Amino acid sequence: MTVLEYTYAGFLPWSLIWGAPYIGSLVIALLWLAGYRRDLVYGVISALSIAVSAIISSIAAFQVFSEGPIYSLAAGEWFPWLGVTVGTFIDGLGAVMALVVGWISLLIGIYSIKYMEGDAGYARYFFFFTFFVASMQLLVLADNLVLLFVGWEGTGIASYALIGHWYSDEEKAWVGRPGRRALGRQMWFEPSHSAVRAVLFTRIGDLGLLVGIAYLFLVAGTISIPELASRPDFWISELAARGILPLLLTIFTLGALAKSAQFPFHEWLVTAMTGPTPVSALIHAATMVKAGVYFVLRFAPILIAGGIALGSNVLVVEGLRDYFMMLGVLGAVTAFMLATMAIVSDEVKLIMAYSTASQIGYMFLGVAAGGLLMQELEKAAGGVFSGLAHLVSHAVFKAALFLIAGWLIHVAHSRFLDPMGGYYRYMKATGIALWLSGLSLAGIPPFSGFFSKESVLKYVSEAHVPVLLALGLIGAMLTAAYTLRLILRVLHLKPVAGADHGETRPGEAPRLMLVPYLVLSVASLVMGLFWGLLSEAYSRAAELTLSLGRFADLAFKLSSEALVATSLILIGAFAPYFVYYLSGIDTRRLIERGLLARLHGFLYDRWYINSLYYMVFVDGSSRIINALGRLDTAIDKLYHSLIPGAVSSLADSVRSLHRGRTDYYLALYLGSTALAFLLALMEWG
Amino acid sequence: MMLPLPLFWASILAPLILGLVAAAKRELGRGLVNAVAYLSAAFLAIPGIVALAYSPRINLASWIVDPLFIDLRGSSIGVIALGLDGVSAPVVIGVSLVTALVSIYSIKYMTHRIEELRREGEEPPGLGVYFSLYNMFSISMLGMALSTNLLEFYVFLEISLVSSFALIALYGYGDRRRIALLYFIWTHVGGALFLIGILYYWTQVGLFDVVDVTGGRGVYVAESLAGSAALYAMVALVLGLLVKMAIVGVHMWLPYAHAEAPTPVSALLSPNLVGIGGYALARFALPIFPEGMERASTALIALSIATIIYGGLVALRQTDFKRFLAYSSISQMGYMLLGVSTLTAAGIGGAMLQYLSHAVGKAILFMVAGVFIAELSGLRDMGKMGGFAARYPLMAAAALLGFFHLVGIPPAIGMWGEVLLVIGYSQALGPYGAQALLLVAVTVIAAFTITAAYSFIAMRRIFFGPLRRNISGESLDAFKASIIVIGVIGVFLFIAVTPLSEGLRASSELLAAIGGGGS
Repeated sequence: MTVLEYTYAGFLPWSLIWGAPYIGSLVIALLWLAGYRRDLVYGVISALSIAVSAIISSIAAFQVFSEGPIYSLAAGEWFPWLGVTVGTFIDGLGAVMALVVGWISLLIGIYSIKYMEGDAGYARYFFFFTFFVASMQLLVLADNLVLLFVGWEGTGIASYALIGHWYSDEEKAWVGRPGRRALGRQMWFEPSHSAVRAVLFTRIGDLGLLVGIAYLFLVAGTISIPELASRPDFWISELAARGILPLLLTIFTLGALAKSAQFPFHEWLVTAMTGPTPVSALIHAATMVKAGVYFVLRFAPILIAGGIALGSNVLVVEGLRDYFMMLGVLGAVTAFMLATMAIVSDEVKLIMAYSTASQIGYMFLGVAAGGLLMQELEKAAGGVFSGLAHLVSHAVFKAALFLIAGWLIHVAHSRFLDPMGGYYRYMKATGIALWLSGLSLAGIPPFSGFFSKESVLKYVSEAHVPVLLALGLIGAMLTAAYTLRLILRVLHLKPVAGADHGETRPGEAPRLMLVPYLVLSVASLVMGLFWGLLSEAYSRAAELTLSLGRFADLAFKLSSEALVATSLILIGAFAPYFVYYLSGIDTRRLIERGLLARLHGFLYDRWYINSLYYMVFVDGSSRIINALGRLDTAIDKLYHSLIPGAVSSLADSVRSLHRGRTDYYLALYLGSTALAFLLALMEWG
Repeated sequence: MMLPLPLFWASILAPLILGLVAAAKRELGRGLVNAVAYLSAAFLAIPGIVALAYSPRINLASWIVDPLFIDLRGSSIGVIALGLDGVSAPVVIGVSLVTALVSIYSIKYMTHRIEELRREGEEPPGLGVYFSLYNMFSISMLGMALSTNLLEFYVFLEISLVSSFALIALYGYGDRRRIALLYFIWTHVGGALFLIGILYYWTQVGLFDVVDVTGGRGVYVAESLAGSAALYAMVALVLGLLVKMAIVGVHMWLPYAHAEAPTPVSALLSPNLVGIGGYALARFALPIFPEGMERASTALIALSIATIIYGGLVALRQTDFKRFLAYSSISQMGYMLLGVSTLTAAGIGGAMLQYLSHAVGKAILFMVAGVFIAELSGLRDMGKMGGFAARYPLMAAAALLGFFHLVGIPPAIGMWGEVLLVIGYSQALGPYGAQALLLVAVTVIAAFTITAAYSFIAMRRIFFGPLRRNISGESLDAFKASIIVIGVIGVFLFIAVTPLSEGLRASSELLAAIGGGGS
């Protein structure tokens, strides 16, 4: 096991990576409280503070790559009882994450300045936006679990507030077809409803994370991530000896699974699309939903290191294998399941949301493959970092896609796909951007999405779990299919339903919005063209990452697996072209009746999972709540009418002996005297 | 450490005197009302400020003590003194903060309430009497938190019950006289049970002292009692405190009292007064009945989880905003009971931070409820609310922050409490095996998620969705600013938790060690 050397640094300037946006959001809040109402200023403050974060994270990355990891620590501890320090730990993984978060946030922030223009909640938007960026940077750079948890919850709050940004619930901000029901449950969601869903789904996972932190504190005696990494064999064997290794790791990872919207927690992300589109781009595509991936990227190397050190301990080896298998299965199922939903969806943002959860499934799959390849450290490092590579590729192209979607929805005055079509004529630059980022998502060479997905699949095939590989390959084919379907329908085919553009003809986006997504989509091509260089950079980052310390081989090599994957992807990409241009099939007629209609309904209604959740959890708990309500009333009655009633009737019966009538008293007196006399006689007699 | 001035006694006596002076005048002018309210607030804030100011400098486990005390050891009572340590510091800060700011909040609210009662043809006493009772109520809670002696605690407890009873009976809502009586009887059942417990202690020990602070630093002098008679006495004392905390089964009085009390009083009753039951459990029951508490621990933990879930679920079906908050308080008391009944330092510390977080959060929420009552002609029905964020953005922000405090999401100090509670709970369930882990995970996820569920669902019902009625916008006045100040201080406490946490740790570890539960 290699020990990572890192240099200690003071609190500043590295803490500003997360500190600057926190300061930015504080300034925004104070200005708003002070009654300042010039919108543009809020946007500029936000962008400036995020720019500081992005620039410092770039310097940090440079320093990490040239001189090694940085550990910047505030003097003293924040919560000494638990050993909570305020430390910014920047290793290879942290540097890459901070860099991606910083720059993509900045681009989306700039886009938002224009996009949110005239919105009533402009200041509130930028407050939570900036607060989010700060929390996200804190999350990826935190040196201990509680600090990570603070950032983690912060991103959750921001996500909640921004999903429900348009809290007055007007129909244009909904998700899903109004009036549509599946198994009797409504399948459309208002922003305020989606916000509650998001916060509750992720809360369940967060509490799992919290229990995990508590157990690690008690068993390992520390919550510091570098310390946990420095002696993983100690606490992993301790957990294995207690028979809780895979169980605890699973509970600990619940937070990551929920945050990253992996099955069975994926439902919240789908409806999170009620938020403003740049929010979907940043939080629900490029960054926050990757927090879970970051989490497993952070801990998988530590677990792998522990597993290697304890290679002879069967309990440990099997426990870790079970855990990574669980991750892999959930990732693969999500990758496949959500791709099938995307293929029938008719809402632009919904397609992107399905796609996001599905692509994150690939990232989990890559990390899991790395874990399963634990015995060969080089391959393990490669597998884990293929997850990071796909995370970065996806952050870039999906952010671009969402930003483009924001403009498309604006142009079409609709979130649905049907009124869109033939837009390439009106907006060449946007069209090219959509093609570039879409091909990257589809996984077509030579875009970055192809190379990173390919390296994930390479390591999955090396791990020799055929089911995982099969699901991954089919998912990749479906991804190409739904992406091309979207591109063709939006840009080149005629709109299906009547397009209503009102007075305005569709045109190009304003420059402040166009430039960010152009930059991002060109980047997804450039990153692919220079994959050789980029994969070396990832490799170097892996070498500089806690507990990994190894090169990760992400270079593209031709193999039978790569050929199969590429051909499947190409078939998937060709399918929509065939259907729309060559076959002459009317897809709308196809799904009107019969088996295909049933299948379409099943996929369109998200495998009925949403409805099942409502039937079990919502209906179930409302039944319990009603029963408890009756119990509560019963307790109330018992205390406040039965007991007082019993007491007062007892009092009445005592009082009835005293009716206040002389004849009665006289009779009572004589009777009892006679009785007493009789008794006395008997006694003496 | 001995305070240079008798600041604690001043914070108790000055508001009392101010209140009596105010009550003596038949009608108070506006200026005089303001003077009484703000001056009382200043005095009530003192103990909290002292706790915050000294915590970075001294080890709170060695207590901060008021230099004045009354030595009644000759008459078998003990020493009547005031002091605080790390365990009581969060409680004292919570009481100080809330009572001080609610005092300012009361001015507008109670002016409005008294006018309303007069319009209904009643003749409630004026603001002078209100403030005298309010101050009596506030100082009684400070007194309980600062008590070092069982009898002293009990006397302050009685003062709190009588004053809050009068406040409900005079200024409450609905069937207020009946509800006040109901409240009075219930809390006296609790008080009497508690009294049985402490009298038994007295018969065994001969004094009521729990902590001796006469030397300028606090030393536990409580003797631990064991045996079967002690067990009965403990059951009485603990049951008394459980009634006080409105733990499920004996909770039925709380929804009535807290929902129908005048709102500023609800804001004190709900987080502050009931939570002191949990504090007393840690401070008194643990050192006096270590053996009995050890035996009761598992049952109490089960009861606490049941309370969290029960209160939370029943809260979900309430439509009255204040009654909803009342059920939420029952649930929150489950968290406190959970912490204390783990008998671990982390659990006790977590419970006390939970107290502070609940004080901040629930006070904010009751005050927001009061804003709607005062400004939207008595509106309390959540079914008739919706979309208020558009007109009341500040109140929406405050309420959201308040709910964060209940759920334990940063920037609420409750996050620290939550982490400690889960650690303490895991410790209490023992040897970290698979069964214990599953039990912890399932109960924590179920119970804590319910808190989040009712919080965010209520937030949606009140503030989000289409605007359900035509209301005018909010204007910022002292009435609402007092809410914002509590919120800001709450966030500050989350960030500046370090010194408090250290004192809390030392004191909790001491208490847990005396209680026999280990650290």
